[in-house]
Amino acid sequence: MKSIHRVVFAAVAITFASIAIQPVLAHHSGAGFSRETIQLSGTVKEFQFRNPHSWIQVNVPDPSGKTVEWSIEWGSPNQLGREGIRPSSFTPGMSITMKVHPMANGSPVGGFVGAKMSDGKTIGKWDAE
Amino acid sequence: MRIKTLTMLCGLSISLMFSPLSFAQEAAVTLFAQLPDWSGLWSMMGGTIFDRSTQTGSGGAIDHGVREHPPYTPEYEKIYMKHLALRDIDRYPDVITNCGVPVGFPRILNLPDAYEFVVRPDIFYIVTENGPNTMRVYTDGRKLPAKEDTWGTYTGVSVGHWEGDTLVWETIGLKGSRDNDSILDRTGLILSDQARITTRMRKVNENTLEARMVIEDPKALTKPWNVTKQFRKSKKPGLFMYDYGCAENQRNPVDSATGKTLILGADGKPVN
Repeated sequence: MKSIHRVVFAAVAITFASIAIQPVLAHHSGAGFSRETIQLSGTVKEFQFRNPHSWIQVNVPDPSGKTVEWSIEWGSPNQLGREGIRPSSFTPGMSITMKVHPMANGSPVGGFVGAKMSDGKTIGKWDAE
Repeated sequence: MRIKTLTMLCGLSISLMFSPLSFAQEAAVTLFAQLPDWSGLWSMMGGTIFDRSTQTGSGGAIDHGVREHPPYTPEYEKIYMKHLALRDIDRYPDVITNCGVPVGFPRILNLPDAYEFVVRPDIFYIVTENGPNTMRVYTDGRKLPAKEDTWGTYTGVSVGHWEGDTLVWETIGLKGSRDNDSILDRTGLILSDQARITTRMRKVNENTLEARMVIEDPKALTKPWNVTKQFRKSKKPGLFMYDYGCAENQRNPVDSATGKTLILGADGKPVN
């Protein structure tokens, strides 16, 4: 089991954060999400590839060893589908590392930035932030 | 003799049915050929600030301190300031977040996601994936209804005509801010039910459509407000539009008591 890795990026990331969240969360505002970027490692529980936003449910072990289910919000399947994302892009049981903009209040919810699979393949803005 | 006549009539009918084009069909094809090609999938250029030319403050419509400067009357400037103040404490929910109402016009020209602009001789459709939303502009020669024959709807009533490659249409019958459920963007811009909008839409180059709006509103505005929106054609061939069931996986309901847009966590309970 991997532990949570929190990596807070520099001021450059703050600029990218507002650009990255807004077009994706077209259905509601991005209020509540922090502009910092953190990194999570865990196992995909479910990929809700449904409108108005997709959600990736990921089980992430915390430093005490307890598993916490994170909800990672992403774009609509329509937008993502045209960019090549499919319901099979994240399958249950898949090991994954994600970059997210977490809730400012510490809840296990975040806005999707990018993901890296165990084979090194990346999705989203993994290299941008 | 009677049987012979009937046989001849049947033969004539069948030959007409299977002729390559009837007169009406030919006329329709001719009219289609005179219309510009606006086919394909389009997306709005820029963010969802309705009038970027008057924007102050940096960021998008949800960012604190951002606003636009329409030529509002004092009454409507006051209302807008109230909306901005709520937006700045994250208590100005987007009216469409609860998935219950259309965005209406002119906001239908201020949406993310894909657009289709369907040009026919008798009608023009704006079809947006987001929402989804549809707007109709009748181009069959009819006139706008009398004011007493409109009652205020989200998209209003529109009739238009072609001036060369430019579609010109007028829109009336908008509900505006009457029920607090029709806005122009997330800063809280609104119009009144007196708005009358003239839109001129054309291709400015092969991949760009432009809609120039002149918004007149004797209740909300002190003078006409000019706003231009542009749309870029996707270069990827064969893209599909999909349905957008806003309520399908709604994890962001609005708390009606506070106006706060909630975020539902893994257990379905609000986390904010």
